[in-house]
Amino acid sequence: MSDPAIVLGVIGADCHSVGNKIMDVFFSGEGFRVVNLGVMVSQLEFVDAAIETDAAAILVSSLYGHGEIDCQGLRDLCIEKGLDRIILYAGGNLVVGKTPGAEVEEKFRAMGFDRVFRPDVDLKEAAALLRSDIEARRAEAS
Amino acid sequence: MISNETIDLKEFETIRNEVLETWPTGKGVRIEDGIRYQKRIPEEKRFSAAMKTARDKGRILLQPRAGVALIDEHIKLLRYLETEGEADLLPTTIDAYTRQNRYEEAEKGIERSKAAGSSLLNGFPAVNHGVDGCRRVVDAVVSPIQVRHGTPDARLLAEITLAAGFSSFEGGGISYNIPYAKKVPLEKSIRDWQYVDRLVGIYEEQGVRINREPFGPLTGTLVPPFISHTIGIIEGLLALRQGVKSITLGYGQAGNILQDIAAVTSLRELAEEYFKRAGFEDYEFTTVFHQWMGGFPEDEAKAFSVIAWGAAVAAFAKPEKIIVKSPHEAMGIPTKEANAQGLRATRQIVSMLADQRLFDSLTVRREVEIIKREVRCLMDKVYELGRGDLAAGSVAAFQAGVLDVPFAPSIYNLGKVLPMRDNEGFLRIFHKGNLPLDNDVMAYHREKLGERAKAEGREISFQMVTDDIYAVSKGKLIGRPR
Repeated sequence: MSDPAIVLGVIGADCHSVGNKIMDVFFSGEGFRVVNLGVMVSQLEFVDAAIETDAAAILVSSLYGHGEIDCQGLRDLCIEKGLDRIILYAGGNLVVGKTPGAEVEEKFRAMGFDRVFRPDVDLKEAAALLRSDIEARRAEAS
Repeated sequence: MISNETIDLKEFETIRNEVLETWPTGKGVRIEDGIRYQKRIPEEKRFSAAMKTARDKGRILLQPRAGVALIDEHIKLLRYLETEGEADLLPTTIDAYTRQNRYEEAEKGIERSKAAGSSLLNGFPAVNHGVDGCRRVVDAVVSPIQVRHGTPDARLLAEITLAAGFSSFEGGGISYNIPYAKKVPLEKSIRDWQYVDRLVGIYEEQGVRINREPFGPLTGTLVPPFISHTIGIIEGLLALRQGVKSITLGYGQAGNILQDIAAVTSLRELAEEYFKRAGFEDYEFTTVFHQWMGGFPEDEAKAFSVIAWGAAVAAFAKPEKIIVKSPHEAMGIPTKEANAQGLRATRQIVSMLADQRLFDSLTVRREVEIIKREVRCLMDKVYELGRGDLAAGSVAAFQAGVLDVPFAPSIYNLGKVLPMRDNEGFLRIFHKGNLPLDNDVMAYHREKLGERAKAEGREISFQMVTDDIYAVSKGKLIGRPR
């Protein structure tokens, strides 16, 4: 099976670029085909890139607090554009202010995200989860 | 073609009419009205006066960052930081939509914040609130107040907030583009900031002094002092050319105390040298030290230590102002209580250390000289590329990678430079990209990094850079192998 493509980007008007650059290097090293859209990415840009590259997952980052506004409707847009099975992850400081992780996770799961990550997540752990989620989706599809 | 010339008034008027049309609150903003309003503000509430007094009396002023979506809540927040936080200077931090001129989205953010009963924006949308809304904020506080943001095109924001009585405005054509935007051409942002500086110059000519503060820390991530100094000095010179008279250059704490003291010292000496050499005499120059701008530990006790260390280093480096962090930094926007705690923790240290001096003059002097060499290497090349013109030279320098900001998001930044800590935590250059550093300077960097590689028993690699980026949030300064 070929290396799965994943789309990376920082959503909305957010220009936090450091973590995005690290994730690019890391996930490429882990054998993913990384399509990195960089900072300030719109929902439509995420979805279009995922369609173009036949990506298995979209990893949305947000560090600046507007994630709650920016991420709403992304799942619907994916479905509308025919990406019925794509994996959606969100990670970072997703809401304004210090908020319990469970509360943030619930909010973003309700928005249709498969997994929600804290800003200090161990990337190796995230990569392992991503791999198993991709395999599970592929098994479902076949 | 961009050039470092004073914008003539006729051209300024033409641009101005377009700028004021870009959002309804811009219509009817009058500079004369702004000047009249600014003149009613008492001297003790003027930012430039506070900075000058701090310099003359050797004091260090403390300023937080803060901003929420709605006017009344924003006033409450600022008043709390004044009374409970004992802040000397106040901010109004602008939300990220306004910074990208996305005022429709800011408007939605205001509406949703009203509905939610809490701020869904990460700052104060000053353009949407307009001159009258902003004046309510300025009038409600007793301390000097500044606009802090990250806006590549801040022309409308400046028109509105200066007319409303804000007496200081942060940013610059490089420092608010390269680290804060993805696709804004540098010619455009430099031009748009020449407009902001010209506007400040017009206020100045009418007897209203507005303080200007280029943003020193850039990406806030392992930025070696000479890179941020060069950009700060360029932005200072561009501002002076447009008639700015009160200028504050910034530096973000790097982590090694001796390098940090050398950085503030060299910034002061270099800026005065370059300003005077360009023919400027009549200006007020001050410095600002930013507490650690990189990733913070999540544990608030540990975060307080990072804040306190920044305070201690600043107390020895003696800038006129410190920008203070909060113990919520790792989690994003702080509550007003956490923000005030950061201020009080800083106050305690700065007061305790006010009369102390730190001496390791040999190392500090050595690092001052190295930073000066490095800045001169870059500045010489920028002038050369611009055939003597700093604005044109800056654009050409970024194209060529002669100026290159580590980890910046802009596509107009080459992004080849990689910094790294040496064995004592000084920031050095691992990959120089196209930076025009002399061979003996690079040899020094390599020698220092070699000491670390030897001590850690591993080759110098990108992994070390990653380790350095996350080290402070994980409880260390240098990203040692686990």
